[in-house]
Amino acid sequence: MKLRLIIFFAHGLGWLSRITRRGSGVMLTGRMILKLQPNAAKILSRKRRVVLVSGTNGKTTSTALIDAAIKTSHQTVTNFTGANLFAGIATALSQNNSATVAVLEVDEMVIPWAIKQTSPELVVLLNLGRDQLDRLSEVRVVAQKWKEALVGLPKKAVILADADDPFVVWASQHWKRVIWFSSGSLGHLDASTCPECGEVLWWSEKGDDFSCACGFARPQPDWKFTRDTLKGPKKEKVKVVSGIPGKAAISNSARAVVASTFFDIELDDAADAIARISSVDGRFGKVVIGPTRFRLLLSKNPASWKETLATSAEGPASVLLVVNANTQDGKDTSWLWDVDFSPLSGRRVIVTGDRRTDVSARLNVAGIGHVVSENELAASKIFGSVDADIIASYTAFHRLAKLVKR
Amino acid sequence: MTFTIVHLFPELLGTYGDRGNVDVTAWRLTQREIENEVIAVGIGEKIPKSADLYFLGGGEDDAQIAALEILARKGVMRKIVENGGHVFAVCAGLQILGESFPASAGRVIAGLGIIPIETTSAAPRSVGEILLKPTFSIESERHFTGFENHAGQTRFTDDLQPLGIVVRGVGNGLNTGVDGVVTPQIIGTYMHGPALVRNPGLADWVLERKLGALTSLDASIFDRLHEERVKASQ
Ligand SMILES: [Zn+2]
Repeated sequence: MKLRLIIFFAHGLGWLSRITRRGSGVMLTGRMILKLQPNAAKILSRKRRVVLVSGTNGKTTSTALIDAAIKTSHQTVTNFTGANLFAGIATALSQNNSATVAVLEVDEMVIPWAIKQTSPELVVLLNLGRDQLDRLSEVRVVAQKWKEALVGLPKKAVILADADDPFVVWASQHWKRVIWFSSGSLGHLDASTCPECGEVLWWSEKGDDFSCACGFARPQPDWKFTRDTLKGPKKEKVKVVSGIPGKAAISNSARAVVASTFFDIELDDAADAIARISSVDGRFGKVVIGPTRFRLLLSKNPASWKETLATSAEGPASVLLVVNANTQDGKDTSWLWDVDFSPLSGRRVIVTGDRRTDVSARLNVAGIGHVVSENELAASKIFGSVDADIIASYTAFHRLAKLVKR
Repeated sequence: MTFTIVHLFPELLGTYGDRGNVDVTAWRLTQREIENEVIAVGIGEKIPKSADLYFLGGGEDDAQIAALEILARKGVMRKIVENGGHVFAVCAGLQILGESFPASAGRVIAGLGIIPIETTSAAPRSVGEILLKPTFSIESERHFTGFENHAGQTRFTDDLQPLGIVVRGVGNGLNTGVDGVVTPQIIGTYMHGPALVRNPGLADWVLERKLGALTSLDASIFDRLHEERVKASQ
């Protein structure tokens, strides 16, 4: 079958799945395309400039931001939010034939496949940290996979890599064309030993520098973002603001500005386009449940909980935690003990979700007063008519995100 | 007297919520108004030699070897045990105390040799809920519940008492049907952090081995968690 026909057929199936409310159809479409033409992603990438975006945290947001910036002067295709495995990538590429750029979010473990298939021009690597350890491999195993895959990049490809993350540095450092980005993120939960030799890694007191006796060290950044200003290697300078709350979002915005420079987009234009995005895939969306007006926040792993708790602490006084332990959340809740919940103290805290007892035990030991509740509706009756945050783990978040008013 | 708890190298051995075991132990003492102090020993910091209870958690290969090297220097870990220190060791922490354990690229690393166990790698990785029947009687607990995630499996090279008989999960593996190890001063297990949160009876038992009988504690949330997790894995 001709690829064009396959795509037509697969999109038809996806459309059927949507109108019969079986699902969004994205996965079905992608799976069908790859089944009938395993090299579809390769063929569909040929005439396009491809950007791959990967990392443990921030890939969905970063992809949306980079896409927004590039869109100011090119037609683009991009993933349906979060559909970052083989099928999601194939579906993204099968859209809009006249788009010249593809901005693709890629799961960390799918990077080797994505590099081979799409021959990207730019690979944006955000960070590598602990995710759900019960189903994903150890951090260094993922870093090793990246390292091996990056060697196979097209000669002219550029890696835009985070200079503050030892695992990202280690995986990227041997590539000739690396652009190092730093947003001054401090320390690293999972990098106490050197990725190169295994000895204990030296960290500066402040956590902004690392090195090892074997020679492995933090590279000098080419682009540096501090507070609200991004500075480049040729004295470029631009102010970056984010429409999405939180420190991670502002770093991701600055990095997205750097990524857009590869497509000859003016810094100011990129920064403007990025600042206009205020919610990605329901994150920070508004949901009304019972009498309570909720803002929806996603947390996936220790690093993202740390970030989300800090962002939420600047928000409303009331906060609801929803923690599940389904496959996509990670079935192991031990990470609860690796997260500092003290930003919750003094706030009005309610806990729900399948694993609310685990969370309650955790908060008890941390000395944080809270109430345990059956579900979100019961919690809203306790909160009453106020603004509140919901911090939800993956599966709870995606259930609630469907209620977000768009 | 202050009960001193030492958390050894949280940066290296703390992958799976191991801090939970430390925190809940201190919390249970505080609730009973027993004075206590937690010392988190970082890499390169001085290790207290005569604390009451030492915690060794889980970690990845390189971190495990780095921790081993520090604990082997001048026989510091051996001296701690000889001085009467008690140890609660999980996963990588347990393996370190034995005769040998596996590392990447087929290497075999000599351990501290403090307990007669040896660990070899066994595929596939053992991941999931684990349920044990204790090998000794604990009034309040007929089961221990935990989560395990390890590539190594462990056998005894001499007579030893395991911590529990495996009802669900793998534990020490290698067809032994048991998990962990209990010696007069050391408790080891593959139930990773926070095993002492999920098993309040075990937490108190660990403390009572050093302190004698403790008063009962009204902390129903931990009992509820225990029951929930036992039920979920049956
Ligand atoms: Zn090194």
